[in-house]
Amino acid sequence: MKHHAEHLSITGRALLDRRQFLSNSATALGSIALTNLLGLDGLLAAENHGPLIDPARPYAPRQSHFPGKAKNVIVIFCAGAVSQLETWDYKPELIKWDGRPLPGGPAVTFQGPAGNLARPQYEFRQRGKTGKWVSDMIPHLAELTDDIAFVHSLTSKSNTHGPAENFLSTGFVLDGFPSLGSWVTYALGSESQELPSYVAIPDPRGVPQNGANNWGPGFLPAAFQGTTMSSKNPVRHLAATGVPRDADQAARSLLQKMNARHLAAHPGDSKLAARIASYELAARMQLSVPEINDLSTEPMHILKSYGADDTQNPDKAAFAKNCILARRLIEKGVRFVQLFNGAYASGGKLNWDGHSALKEQYDVHSRILDQPAAALIRDLKQRGLLQDTLVVWCTEFGRMPFFQKGAKGRDHNPDGFTCWMTGAGVKPGVSHGVTDDLGQKAIEHIHPLYHFNATILHLLGLDFEKLSFEHNGIQRRLTNVEGKVIREVLA
Amino acid sequence: MKLTSLLTYLFVATAALAAPVDFVRDVRPIFEKNCYDCHGEKKQKGGLRLDMKTAALKGGDNEGPNIIPGKAKESSLIHLITSTDEDEVMPPKGERLAAAQIATLRAWINEGAMWPDGVDVVKLKDKRDHWSFKPINAPTARPTIDSFIDTKLFEQGLHRSPPADPVSWLRRVTFDLTGLPPELEDVEAFLKKLDHAAVVERLLSSPRYGERWAQHWLDVVRFADTHGFEVNTERPNAWPYRDYVIRAFNKDTPYDRFIKEQIVGDTLGEDAATGFLVTASVLLPGQIGKDEPSKRLARQDSLDEMVNNIGQTFLGLSIGCARCHDHKFDPITAKDYYAMQAFVAGVEYEDRELRTPEAIAARARVIQIKNQVAALDKQLSRFVPLAKSGVKRSMINARENVDRFAPMTTKRVRFSIRETNNLEPCIDELEVFSTAGENIALNAAVTVSGENVTADRHKMRFVNDGNYGNSRSWMSNETGKGWVMIEFEQENEIDRIIWGRDRQGKFKDRLATSYVIEIADASGAWKIVADSDDRERYDASKSPQLGFVTKGLLQDEAAAAGQLLTQKRELEREISNLDAAQKVFAGIFRKPDEIHLLNRGDPEQPKEEVTPAVLSALGNVKLDKQTPEQQRRAVLAGWIASPQNPLTARVMVNRIWQGHFGTGLVQTPSDFGNNGIKPTHPELLDWLATEFIRSGWSVKHMHRLIVLSETYRQRSDGELESWSVGNGQPAFHYSTTPAPHEIDSDVRLLWRFPSRRLEAEAIRDSMLAISGQLNLKMYGRGYDLFDKRGGLAGFNPVETSTPENQRRMIYAHKVRREPEAVFGAFDCPDAGQSTASRRASTTPIQALNLFNSRFTLDQSTAFAVRVKKESGDDIAQQIQRAYQLVLTREPTAEEQNDAMPIIKKHGLTVLCRALFNSNEFLFQP
Repeated sequence: MKHHAEHLSITGRALLDRRQFLSNSATALGSIALTNLLGLDGLLAAENHGPLIDPARPYAPRQSHFPGKAKNVIVIFCAGAVSQLETWDYKPELIKWDGRPLPGGPAVTFQGPAGNLARPQYEFRQRGKTGKWVSDMIPHLAELTDDIAFVHSLTSKSNTHGPAENFLSTGFVLDGFPSLGSWVTYALGSESQELPSYVAIPDPRGVPQNGANNWGPGFLPAAFQGTTMSSKNPVRHLAATGVPRDADQAARSLLQKMNARHLAAHPGDSKLAARIASYELAARMQLSVPEINDLSTEPMHILKSYGADDTQNPDKAAFAKNCILARRLIEKGVRFVQLFNGAYASGGKLNWDGHSALKEQYDVHSRILDQPAAALIRDLKQRGLLQDTLVVWCTEFGRMPFFQKGAKGRDHNPDGFTCWMTGAGVKPGVSHGVTDDLGQKAIEHIHPLYHFNATILHLLGLDFEKLSFEHNGIQRRLTNVEGKVIREVLA
Repeated sequence: MKLTSLLTYLFVATAALAAPVDFVRDVRPIFEKNCYDCHGEKKQKGGLRLDMKTAALKGGDNEGPNIIPGKAKESSLIHLITSTDEDEVMPPKGERLAAAQIATLRAWINEGAMWPDGVDVVKLKDKRDHWSFKPINAPTARPTIDSFIDTKLFEQGLHRSPPADPVSWLRRVTFDLTGLPPELEDVEAFLKKLDHAAVVERLLSSPRYGERWAQHWLDVVRFADTHGFEVNTERPNAWPYRDYVIRAFNKDTPYDRFIKEQIVGDTLGEDAATGFLVTASVLLPGQIGKDEPSKRLARQDSLDEMVNNIGQTFLGLSIGCARCHDHKFDPITAKDYYAMQAFVAGVEYEDRELRTPEAIAARARVIQIKNQVAALDKQLSRFVPLAKSGVKRSMINARENVDRFAPMTTKRVRFSIRETNNLEPCIDELEVFSTAGENIALNAAVTVSGENVTADRHKMRFVNDGNYGNSRSWMSNETGKGWVMIEFEQENEIDRIIWGRDRQGKFKDRLATSYVIEIADASGAWKIVADSDDRERYDASKSPQLGFVTKGLLQDEAAAAGQLLTQKRELEREISNLDAAQKVFAGIFRKPDEIHLLNRGDPEQPKEEVTPAVLSALGNVKLDKQTPEQQRRAVLAGWIASPQNPLTARVMVNRIWQGHFGTGLVQTPSDFGNNGIKPTHPELLDWLATEFIRSGWSVKHMHRLIVLSETYRQRSDGELESWSVGNGQPAFHYSTTPAPHEIDSDVRLLWRFPSRRLEAEAIRDSMLAISGQLNLKMYGRGYDLFDKRGGLAGFNPVETSTPENQRRMIYAHKVRREPEAVFGAFDCPDAGQSTASRRASTTPIQALNLFNSRFTLDQSTAFAVRVKKESGDDIAQQIQRAYQLVLTREPTAEEQNDAMPIIKKHGLTVLCRALFNSNEFLFQP
């Protein structure tokens, strides 16, 4: 039991002095260091793993393991598996081989029999100072390549959307593990105390495949669960619908009195104090969340630059508004924002799962993604936010160099695909890793997604081997027992 | 290379070659300096450690030896330290090994890698030498729980707190055993006699007890009513397992039998119990890749979940860690792991038909009713206008359409879709009726233009399999078109076709809005008998008339048809109810897969075949390859549910203890292995385990022992008493005598009762109980928390209160991974991985939900209505009643004064809402 006593001394004997405690509790709860750990009483302290968390201020900013270049993260998550061959991984050989079978290629892939090799469905051209080849499908994002670090040689552990999105988001193919954003906010808290520390913004067309598991806390405390909101749907239960303002206030002040009295009778019980503080935080959120969602304060030229004014393409306009919302959240100090592009399984109609009519569907999807996402990055840069914000673009796996038999689309390919990052701590204008001449398999600097996630943690000043949490006898990490920082993409 | 360094290299190399290399003098320092950080006592990356002879010569995980005596060239150790590939070179960070050091290692290996015995500084810990793997120590005396607790407290200079007041104890024990607050009559009765034992008996015999404790169990086994993963399809027959668990707790099924029923209940008359084996998320066939490696991996994952569930739940061991390599901390080898898989290698995640007398009767009844429906259809058919008769027919609807024509004799019928309202068309049951009124398409030979199977739905054979609903419909693989052809064994005279998009009426997309029905004549030529051309034009904005349409009929005809139709709908409803009562998602059992040890857990790298065997460190039960499926599970269950198994009883009594005190004696309830936290009171744990077995594995007996102990009866704010002296003024003397809080801040030694927040279910259920809205209906299909019961993401919460959704939360249809909109934030498990103990985190989202949600507002309103009804118009009495119901106590004068003006101004609901959010309500006293 000794370590507990020591632990107590760290957080201050002030707690033991009940006179002081009581005098503080009514007014300045947030300032008191409390001993017990957000539903983890003792466990973390005993094992000395993980951050110390003040249950009254679960979102309080916390020290990273070492100084990180990035403070905040925006992840642009393209659900359904974006083809690397139509976007960032230029394969001129594939043009030559167009329409011919792949010698020695697989007869059957995920969805069925394989057809012939198919050329990239868009023209490619060189961009920027680095001369990076990028397709015409994404003309706006293509202009940013000088600032981007591409990893072309990623691999996934699964060729099925569900497990693969789990793998990308949580480091495990099975359900129920904590998401990247949960790990990050668990470790670092947030710069903002008035907004959730971790926000997931679903695509206007619907939530992604695997839904809430992409922002779930798994076995981490529920405080680190991603809160969903978007330009269309604000946070739930922000206000009591139908209750007059003064009655609402009366209920709140009555509750405050009840809880203060109860606390006085249970001095030193930090769980009670934490709950009281949570109502104060909630009250602040009630004001700040509607404010953040109110885009009417954005000037017209900003709305235009994102494409939020596009009346011809409501999905694009809505995604653009989500992008603006992401920027506003980061501006307010929210730690982790996940911006989804692409919804649930729909035969590729609502996301990037281009099995049967890839070109036709990507024409639609790319128009929704391209201008808003590019504008977001430019806007962050122009405001100086990119200096400490990491922007990650990712997708769960890639697609095959051949079409599916009898179709004009590509099947799932977990053996070589591209994701990228830009912003804080990222080396600009890098293309790291290589797939074979047809873009089917990573052949050089092969990086399972574990490495990509480890690199994100590293940029935030977190050691992917140290950031862990005990669950059912196993010290769990985002990268399981694997992981490696991809140093080539670091500035 | 510069000349000097070349010379040095030659010199050192020569020197090294000249005298034999000495391990201790020459080699170990190199390892120590360069390798131990990652391959030593603390870390063993890749499973390799170089600080110990046996381990070092064995090599890393699944790689075989890195050091091959006499063959430096073939030793991967040399390869790795000399590699120029940055991705593989060792050490990966920092300075590379000097040429001289490499030369030394090379020479050492070539000389035979001599590593003398007894020189190692560290010793390999015997992983089997661990308290929980040793037999349970039964104390000879007959101590009490309190004596064990007191001994430990005394050692630390602590003592138990005085007993809590009777009402606090009553609230505590009632929440603990039933998840609900005490009723006022129960408080009165208890205060009269203070008979604690009587209260405990009453609570244990209440059906509410099973509802409460089953939830703890379902947390551990991660039960849910959907399949999980991307598609997260409804698992419509999972709930009988949930009901089984509730019944088992209420019946106090002996725990050893409870284990056996869940592993091999098919031999014990408890079919639903084996739902335990298949509680995990699983990929359905349609979600798994068509390529063989995808199929093998999916099967491995699903077997892995079964082994994990068995290991964690019953044995408190993380056996799953040994899937890729030997367990790092516990004596579980990879081979042990696969031998465990072999016990369950014949279990598949599927529905099984129940064999209860009720289910058998239900199946017979369904056949009967289907005949009645067929007869009704025949009668109804005379009211349907003939196709192609010149009469405008009703608009197509998604549920059911009838096409009647003059009788024709044929062997083949073809239904072709020419257009849909969107996407690829779906047909839910194509029925072809003979003039005798029989559906002759049922299970006849069928051909389709193509199928679009996702998640085991929409297979071709579903088009005429007699089952209704979207998941049992056929889907074409082309947008807007497709065809189905039914072929009978012989020619038949037919006159009617019935078809729909979804006969259950839930789906309206993918509807064939233009179609043609043809039959083949004797020559084989196709002839159109009906099409959509004479129907009213399809218009999605018009509400379709469901099924049979009486429009255009004479009045008496319409009345007659309407009556028949009503009868038909009733029968159909009965069929769907009966169907649900016959099946349970409890696995099917088939010939077991051949199980191999897999290199690094990779199904593409099988090694030797493995047969069923229990963990080698804990027993020697082994079965041969020929052992039939059921016997495998029976043997496994017998080994687990044995008094000799050192883990089984300990793990369960610890879970029960945790259910009462919030934390187990072992703080890691599903890890009793080397990496788990040691018990605070090992003797108490063993005594409880012994007592558990002695009582015939009675869970209720353990509850009695625990909740009737003085330890359980203590105050929860114990420090006040401990610190008080003389005049009752607190004295702050911790500078000389440490306060209990300082010695044991987490209350692990139980110097007071550790209060804790109620769980999500207990909060919701209690609010309903207090507002008077709780519906105590038990068992059966779960009620809806969302607008759908499964499927691709996008679940909108049901916010309106209904009697059905005001049942206890354990009866909610549990959608895996989707947190309930209000209470999910209170650390409700997502049923992805096992939850052995609930967190009790505090977040502002919880506060928003509990303060502002429709649910809270509705229950506050209902509560206010109840209070007024029970206490009349006097506000003081209303306040009193409200406090009694929520907090089981009278309000103080101050509290009366606080509430009075607010109620006068804003109404009683304000007080009700505040009470539901108060800490006093949310925390167990």
